[in-house]
Amino acid sequence: MTAILIIFISLTILLALFWLLFGSKTQEAVLSVDSLQIETLLPVNSRHFAQISQMLKPADFLFMQRRAPHRMAREWRAERRRILGQYLKGLGQDFAQLRRLTRIVAALSPEIRKQQQWEWMWLELQFQISYCMVALKIAVGGLSPERLVRLTELITGLASELDSRISLIAEYSPPRMRVNAG
Amino acid sequence: MGLSFSDSAHWMVTTVIEAVVLSLALRRNLFDRLPVFTIYLCTVVANEAIIWLTYSFTGIRSHTSFYVYWTMQAIQVSIRAVVVYEICRELLSRYTGIWKLCRPLLILLGVGIASSAAVMVRQQVHPLSSTILMTERSLEFTVVGILILGLIFCRYYSVEIKPHLAWIALGLGFYSAIQVANNTFLGDWFSRVDNSIWRDLRMVSFNIATVFWLVALWKPLPAGQPAPVLLSRGEYEALAPEVTLRLRELNARLLEMWK
Repeated sequence: MTAILIIFISLTILLALFWLLFGSKTQEAVLSVDSLQIETLLPVNSRHFAQISQMLKPADFLFMQRRAPHRMAREWRAERRRILGQYLKGLGQDFAQLRRLTRIVAALSPEIRKQQQWEWMWLELQFQISYCMVALKIAVGGLSPERLVRLTELITGLASELDSRISLIAEYSPPRMRVNAG
Repeated sequence: MGLSFSDSAHWMVTTVIEAVVLSLALRRNLFDRLPVFTIYLCTVVANEAIIWLTYSFTGIRSHTSFYVYWTMQAIQVSIRAVVVYEICRELLSRYTGIWKLCRPLLILLGVGIASSAAVMVRQQVHPLSSTILMTERSLEFTVVGILILGLIFCRYYSVEIKPHLAWIALGLGFYSAIQVANNTFLGDWFSRVDNSIWRDLRMVSFNIATVFWLVALWKPLPAGQPAPVLLSRGEYEALAPEVTLRLRELNARLLEMWK
């Protein structure tokens, strides 16, 4: 039993080594201050959340639930779930951008606070787990109409918060990290 | 000496490849960048000569040969542990902040695994050969553990790994991973059946590792990059809290969606 376990561990180690050394890097970061432009790393999808949220008004949900034929209401809900899925995907992409920003900032800082780094790593892990769970919920259609309404409200609220935060991050960023608008 | 013709031929080929790798390392001035690895390559070649002389004078099955062989193995595995630390330093030390975060972890991991192995070996009563294999397995675990942790940091922060360093690291990690499995079999199951396959596996895995190092050093090494321009402490302090707040908010929102 121990031997099998050790063999399994060895194989895992070998695979991990290959992946860590030669695995594809989807987002090749350029670790230099000169090439670092804060605007390219900030969340972008959330800027369009407000427009998409117009399509997901709670009033429409209630109307469809009460008035529309059962089949049409079901299809309508499926369509909303698809939009919610896209919303979620956008949220994930925005989070990935922020994550990339945190890593580049950490890599280019001569002194970093360890507690800060562990918190960023922990937040990333939390987000990944939550993201998978929500995506799974939306994919399997395990959301009641009331739940869909609630989710829509949440995301709509998030959209406006993100917009204000984006400008704040850009404001706090060092001048040499900003894109020259001219 | 007691070696078969095929064993002698295999030994000869191994020694030639190791000598070629060492000469390439010296020609490429590898000592300037990876001094410990260059010393390790010298030790590997010296090891072949010492073992050959010992076998010639005392015979392959003598006590002297046994102790000389395992003493040389202990020296080599210890140097390998330092080499992987050196590779991690070469990869990460340009990024001061990350290196300050990573270095204590690497040291802690190395000391931790080695200490737990020492305690485990002391607690169990085994024949000398099994104890040696267990100790070596633990030390190989230490080597590969340090390497994997360092590479995880590189992957996490998207630090570029130059091809020559990747091949050198692969050789070290590959050999250590194989030895972990190999020593388990030697000390456990195959010791009751036939360990010649696993002895050959040990030699062949080292040959493969040597070929990886040959690939690493075959072409001239890329020019050393200047240290990157870093942000000032004030810039980090200004940006970090805002980004943290943003990440926390996104998480909180997502958690609400999940509940």
